[in-house]
Amino acid sequence: MITSRRAFLKTAALGGASLVIAFDNKRLLAAGKEATPQFKPNGWITVNADGTVTLTIGKSEMGQGVRTSLAMILADELDADWSHTNLVQASPGPDFIQLDTGAISSVASSWTMLRHAAAAARDMLISAGAARWKVDRATCSAANGEVIHSPSKRRLKYGALVADATKLPLPEDPPLKNSNDFRMIGKPTKCIDGREIVTGAARYGIDTKIPGMLYASIERAPWRGAVPRRSQDALALAVPSVRLVPCSLGIAVVADTTWAALKGRTALAVDWGDPPKDAFESAGHFKKLAQSAEQKGIITRKEDPPGGNSPTVRTIYATYFYPFYAHATLETMNCVADVRDDRCIIWAPTQAPNALQEEVARFLSMPPEKVEVNVTLMGGGFGRRLAVDYALEAAEISRIAKAPVQVLWTRADDMRFGHFQAASAHRLSAGLNSKDAVVSWRHTKAGSPHNLNPAELAKPREGLHQDLSRGAYDIPYVIPSIETQYVTVDLPVRHGPWRSSFAASSVFAREAFLDEVARIRGIDPFTLRLELLQGPDTVQIATLNVDRRRLRRVLEVVRDKSGWGGTTSEARQGRGLACNVYNGETHVACVVDVGVDDAGKVKVQRVVAAVDCGLVVNPTGVEEQVEGGILWGISSTLGSEITFVNGLAQQSSYADYKVALMRDTPTIEVHIVPSEEKQPYGMSEPPVPPVAPAIANAIFAATGKRIRRLPIRSEALTKA
Amino acid sequence: MSEIRLTVNGTKKAVNVDDDTPLVWVLRDSLSLTGTKFGCGVGFCGSCTILENGKAIRSCQVPASEANGRSFVTIEGLSRDASHPCQRAWLEEDVAQCGFCQPGMILTACSLLKDHPDPTDEEIDAALADAMCRCGTYPRIRKAIRRAVGTMKTKKK
Repeated sequence: MITSRRAFLKTAALGGASLVIAFDNKRLLAAGKEATPQFKPNGWITVNADGTVTLTIGKSEMGQGVRTSLAMILADELDADWSHTNLVQASPGPDFIQLDTGAISSVASSWTMLRHAAAAARDMLISAGAARWKVDRATCSAANGEVIHSPSKRRLKYGALVADATKLPLPEDPPLKNSNDFRMIGKPTKCIDGREIVTGAARYGIDTKIPGMLYASIERAPWRGAVPRRSQDALALAVPSVRLVPCSLGIAVVADTTWAALKGRTALAVDWGDPPKDAFESAGHFKKLAQSAEQKGIITRKEDPPGGNSPTVRTIYATYFYPFYAHATLETMNCVADVRDDRCIIWAPTQAPNALQEEVARFLSMPPEKVEVNVTLMGGGFGRRLAVDYALEAAEISRIAKAPVQVLWTRADDMRFGHFQAASAHRLSAGLNSKDAVVSWRHTKAGSPHNLNPAELAKPREGLHQDLSRGAYDIPYVIPSIETQYVTVDLPVRHGPWRSSFAASSVFAREAFLDEVARIRGIDPFTLRLELLQGPDTVQIATLNVDRRRLRRVLEVVRDKSGWGGTTSEARQGRGLACNVYNGETHVACVVDVGVDDAGKVKVQRVVAAVDCGLVVNPTGVEEQVEGGILWGISSTLGSEITFVNGLAQQSSYADYKVALMRDTPTIEVHIVPSEEKQPYGMSEPPVPPVAPAIANAIFAATGKRIRRLPIRSEALTKA
Repeated sequence: MSEIRLTVNGTKKAVNVDDDTPLVWVLRDSLSLTGTKFGCGVGFCGSCTILENGKAIRSCQVPASEANGRSFVTIEGLSRDASHPCQRAWLEEDVAQCGFCQPGMILTACSLLKDHPDPTDEEIDAALADAMCRCGTYPRIRKAIRRAVGTMKTKKK
């Protein structure tokens, strides 16, 4: 496994056993050529003499299918044999950059340079073949891991040409395939790690085991600075092999087995005393959010018609609330650290290997290159593993215990000490003129920026407030007067990225409120959206490009495929619609059918979704992300929220924090809308935001009750 | 500490563990069979599901002392080459996203199909009533179960 730049150069020096081409954001480098200390690759491809092809890249797999998509791009552009294409997870070094995996950008950001590197390798292999046969290079081509000379029907496997190819110069500007010639890209392809997963061979962070490793479970202080009032140390220490290690966040119970650590921790029975007087309560926070949404905030978008607006004859108002959520990944947080005097080795399921390396190095007062980070598979990420708290814990305890240590969070730890999706309130108003046209739109969001990195908060970056009000400020509709604002509300609990981050709350409020406008006007919600999408086809909103043609197309697809407009005679049955342009890139619409029983229980029966995510690398992967995004949206709409009392999250298990199960799963239809876009866009987050408002709108159609707060409680929907 | 003797995937094993050690940790820590996952420790999520006499059980709910003398099958024992009809169906339907819950899901499906060779949707819902997948792969799990039913039927003919 090649995992650092030095290893890359070492491989290159092995005497031409492999053709190695590295790439960064701008250029390519063939191993052994003009290696310069400035070159910091973020991936490289290797064609080996045995015919295997390997992509070494720092993108973490957490179920979003990135490993499969990147391998497909490589195999296609290189004309490699898919069954011999592998992926190796790169580890960060001081000179191996941009490994972090968040905000859905992996496939999109790797697209261009990965293709260039693969094209260069193919070009060199074809040249090597032509030279070997002493034929005109133009008469040679490549397919499925072989160079082919068509006139003589001769073929040579890549492996046989590797040694020759390494001696050739790196082509300056290797031609990329025309999209008509794609052989893998666009073809439904199954998960590259599927076999390991179904046989139990796939290794996640929690499966890491190294010689001499101890196991730790941490009893964390529930409040900052809390000290134990009482604890049963003797009982804990009576559990064989247990020792108690005080650490920054509380007390680590360290033992020879996981079970001894867990048992020791239970026996310890720490009494942390009383909560501080001003401990955080979510009930009070919602009041503060509601008040803040009525205040003036930072303007994130303001547009008025040059000639003045037509007079408003009526204005509709509403306030929407979005709650706190946990990530609740199936694999709880965990990390193995082996800290020695002069170095540290980490095994972590992480989306942020670079940040992890930097922060662990800072914590241990070591240079970053002394911290080796091995990235494992992740049992779900969803933004939670962009934080590196659990790695710092493992490093601290390993240093004190002077042994390799695995820190494993219990389900309760994971639920209580996560970083949460932050609650927000949304005050909206829409002004209608005498012809009932929507002539003004106001959306003030009161929320809280992520607080995982205090340094970031101290110095707000350009565009921060736009990001915070994503889904609100980038409203795609044509309305003469638009003003969106963001009000920052202090939030003392840890909160950070969560699948689709800031957009989910804003889009819930926007799309449900638009449904209110349609109902008050007495027109079909689909008709209203199409009416509001007339006007310029493309529009730039801050740095985002919204293409209304693409949005109209996905709307039309869900209309036609869902049978929108048909009436139902069944009581308490309803159909709802919502759409969104995610980050100016991926366009999504969905139609949801619900049934609400007399006790108020909602069942989502069918979801028809359409997406335009640009060029599609793996249609199977896209469908899976839409299906998963819909279930994520159902969990957040009909499942549980996190609430805080006395500064603590009250939920601690899957019993009190419910997520969608098989019985909650609707029939799902995914329609991928052909796109003229030349590049792929992210797919793991965009399907989420329209789901909640579409469900809320369907519930209105079924019951006449307007949902303005999530999650939905059946008590609110009982039959009168 | 006691010596616990049990059969896992057809092989006799003896381990020295505390009597109350949940079977999931015996499998994972003592026997290095990490295909059985820890998800919640209280029997809610299904990640630690294994088979006993073809029936799904939650290995986090079985203390080692009670496991003594019994015989279990983990995901590693279903087949190493993914040849079991359920594993094949899981691959054909490309069920897994992160994959963490899938060993438990596959073994739960095996157990369901033993009792109900051609389950109704309601029987599938009931069998997976507390089996959690946070990636939301349920639509494909349902399809994979249906596909496995098909291959098992053909095999019997």
